[in-house]
Amino acid sequence: MNRPLSASDLSRPGPARIGIGGPVGSGKTALIEALMPLFRKRGIEVAVVTNDLVTKEDARRLQASGLIDPERVLAVEAGACPHTVIREDPTLNIAAAEDLETRYPELDLIIIESGGDNLASTFSLDLVDWWMFVIDVGQGDDIPRKRGPGILQSDLLVLNKLDLAPHVFVDGPATLAEAEAVRAGRPVIGTVCKGPAQQGLDAVADRIERDLLFRDVPA
Amino acid sequence: MSLDRVPERAPVTGAVASDREMCVFSTILGSAADAEFHEEIHRLEHDHAVDHLRLAKTDLSRRRLRAVTEAGREIAIALPRHEHLFDGAVLEFGAGSALVVRVEAERWLRLRPTDAPRALKLGYFCGNLHWRVQFDGEDILVAVETEEKTYLDRLGPTLEAGEALLIAEPHAAHPHPQPAGHPKA
Repeated sequence: MNRPLSASDLSRPGPARIGIGGPVGSGKTALIEALMPLFRKRGIEVAVVTNDLVTKEDARRLQASGLIDPERVLAVEAGACPHTVIREDPTLNIAAAEDLETRYPELDLIIIESGGDNLASTFSLDLVDWWMFVIDVGQGDDIPRKRGPGILQSDLLVLNKLDLAPHVFVDGPATLAEAEAVRAGRPVIGTVCKGPAQQGLDAVADRIERDLLFRDVPA
Repeated sequence: MSLDRVPERAPVTGAVASDREMCVFSTILGSAADAEFHEEIHRLEHDHAVDHLRLAKTDLSRRRLRAVTEAGREIAIALPRHEHLFDGAVLEFGAGSALVVRVEAERWLRLRPTDAPRALKLGYFCGNLHWRVQFDGEDILVAVETEEKTYLDRLGPTLEAGEALLIAEPHAAHPHPQPAGHPKA
């Protein structure tokens, strides 16, 4: 017979794992950096696995940020094919996540940041429970129309750097609307991760807290 | 809900209720086809007392999700990494009701290459796009995991060039469905 767990004890299944994918320079690491203070304020215990091609650049950046205990950041070198280690053979990332789970049993959330890729990258659901895909206005207003698997299949699409839209001749709201249209109702959030006028970050944190940690956050 | 507060005739369940009474299921009790469940669930179905959680096949790989059952009950699932959802998974059983996972029929596009070299080309094309496929005789079947239009747009040039035929059963389930992934199935 199964025994119900106590209401506050969801530790047995382990922490939720989320993926963050997207093209090079779209702002994946910046998004993590911007979310860290929100997670801390909400009492969410976090660790991060970063993926870079042949360096540990993103891991070092997060470790030096002061936003997270450096020991809670692990680096996986993805080699020449960043989507392979998050989809076809995520063994290295699974091992890193399990290592963090063992070392920090209090974790609520493990973030797995993909190496920068193209619009085709997707995450294996054997690796993560949920994943988001980050694009930015600097890539042009036609990115949503290109309908890559990352844009269509992610659980959340983030359109980042909205503050730069006027400077790169992109209509931010129109691009957001087009992204919502191609995703047929799946969520899209526009963000600004850097500078004094951050935007959309609470909405991203709310969705993670509600859908992955099952906390009572309004939809 | 603590163990101390579980009512005497509580259903067998892998769930806990949050402060707002949303159940979080953290284990799978077994398969609806298992001897210990089969007859009773069949009886409950006649009484319209079985609630179903309908999931797309692509969602079966998830260990954590929040969902609404057919009866409109909002639930969450948080399974250990070694457990997998499957068609017929029993999440709750007893006390006059049950909750069972049902997998929605998958949609497949059936394509028939017009000769062997074109079949090779089509196979490469599908693999390059990371499409999930199955083979049935001379046909290749492509799982429709997003909008069907996305696939048809991509296949447009292939179909227009006559390199493959789209066999007209775009909404039919695969004729040889794969068995559920549960080890007891």
